[in-house]
Amino acid sequence: MIRFENVTKTYKGSTVALRDITVEIEKGEFVFLVGASGSGKTTFIRLLLREELPDSGQILEAGRNIVELPKWRVPYLRRNIGCVFQDFRLLPNKSVFENVAFALEVIGRPRHVVANQVPQVLDLVGLAGKRDNLPNELSGGEQQRVAVARAFVNRPLILLADEPTGNLDPQTSQGIMQLLDRINRTGTTVVVATHDEVLVDKMRRRVIELSNGAMVRDQARGVYGFDGSGQQTIEVAAGGMG
Amino acid sequence: MAVSVDYVVRETASNLWRNRLMTIAAVLTVAVSLSLVGAALLLRQGSANATGTLERGTQVTVWMVPNANSQEIAAVGTQLAQLNYVVQPCAYWNKARNFAEARRLLPSDVFQATTESEMPTSYWCTPVALTDAAQVVRTFSGTSGVLSVTEPQQTIHNEETVINVSKWVCLAIAIVLIISAAVLILNTIRMAIFARRREVSVMKLVGATNWFIRVPFMSEGLLQGFIGSLLAAVVVYFVYLFINHEGSGRTTSNIFTAMHMTGSEVLLTNVVVVIVGMAIGSIGSAIAIRRFLDV
Repeated sequence: MIRFENVTKTYKGSTVALRDITVEIEKGEFVFLVGASGSGKTTFIRLLLREELPDSGQILEAGRNIVELPKWRVPYLRRNIGCVFQDFRLLPNKSVFENVAFALEVIGRPRHVVANQVPQVLDLVGLAGKRDNLPNELSGGEQQRVAVARAFVNRPLILLADEPTGNLDPQTSQGIMQLLDRINRTGTTVVVATHDEVLVDKMRRRVIELSNGAMVRDQARGVYGFDGSGQQTIEVAAGGMG
Repeated sequence: MAVSVDYVVRETASNLWRNRLMTIAAVLTVAVSLSLVGAALLLRQGSANATGTLERGTQVTVWMVPNANSQEIAAVGTQLAQLNYVVQPCAYWNKARNFAEARRLLPSDVFQATTESEMPTSYWCTPVALTDAAQVVRTFSGTSGVLSVTEPQQTIHNEETVINVSKWVCLAIAIVLIISAAVLILNTIRMAIFARRREVSVMKLVGATNWFIRVPFMSEGLLQGFIGSLLAAVVVYFVYLFINHEGSGRTTSNIFTAMHMTGSEVLLTNVVVVIVGMAIGSIGSAIAIRRFLDV
């Protein structure tokens, strides 16, 4: 579903954000992307959204090379990728229902599709009862659920989450993770960039660790901190730390 | 891509309402600038009409002194009949005819002091070309028995100069105002983009096409230009009514009579005004979108 081939990304001022990354994520996988601040997690997500282009290397998503994708096709790529962020990015003057419906309306989905899909996805995230509330009437966890609903309402192939629990307390965070897990079980590929050690350890999913832009670990059923206690490392990209 | 009309109308209306003070400023500036453009265009048309009307009626008049004797009058008549740059024959108006004409044209209180015997006789000649009028003036000025030779062209020139100057002043002011109108629209759209930056970022995130994001802003600028130009068209129409009203129903003709214009000329002017207005709106919003809407 996602393949990075020798991807390097450098920002102006010679900061290396990603260094020669090669990794493959299969359809339907749930992957944690871990590492300290500045390790390149967000760049990884931005490359997948094609908000950035790599300096070198290829990125394939759903069999398509997105590096060579013409600019006008980018919106169509993004229709296949849902994304949630630490700061929710909801529209404050729209209700829960309208926020989710907006994602369908602006890609030209007909009204009956909106009327059908939005209640379904609100049901999935457990907010059916709050459809007419404004975002500022909701708790942080509920707001993030709305954001997840908006990212998922168009049934994307891939769901990206950049620090989705960064602003939430541990218990609420766990609820969001369970929600992402439920979405993963519908066959959607989920990539979560996070700092949250407890959650990563608890979920026991594939973990890709970045450090200073290099991939230092790719471990199935991993935990946050690399303890080297016999967990099987499937693949560590060539290149290592620079 | 399917940008639905319904969506664009809704978004445009809510943008305009949210930004209504700036919108009013932009629309009024468009209206004022285009009123001036329209007025300048009308004046241009009017002065063309006036020149046409006046040129057709251009005559050189050789006025004899009231006490000129018949030899002098006949001599001038013979000399006129030999000129090849004058349409033959020249009309000879005796005292009675000039007296009647004067009574018709002049206000009665001015006219009362005059008697028929004090009136001059005159020859009315049409030059072949307008420029030949001056030649007639030169030939007969100072001839014995000739009081004066009048050439109405001088008055035409004066009136044309007035029309021309006001036309160019109108156009110059209009161009300055058109630029400020475009800048105001640009600023309105910039503010609209700024007010909606969250929406725009979400739209980009979920995969709305660039055109889908741009169209409401473009139609907002276009609509401001259009409404402004409609107001200007109404003003231009009233200018037209004024010119035709002032120019008719008077005992004496004036410059407005000569400028008399038809409805189709006004319609054409207004079509130009509306097109320019929509162009201002599109250019203003296009620049704002290029500069400030990063899609």
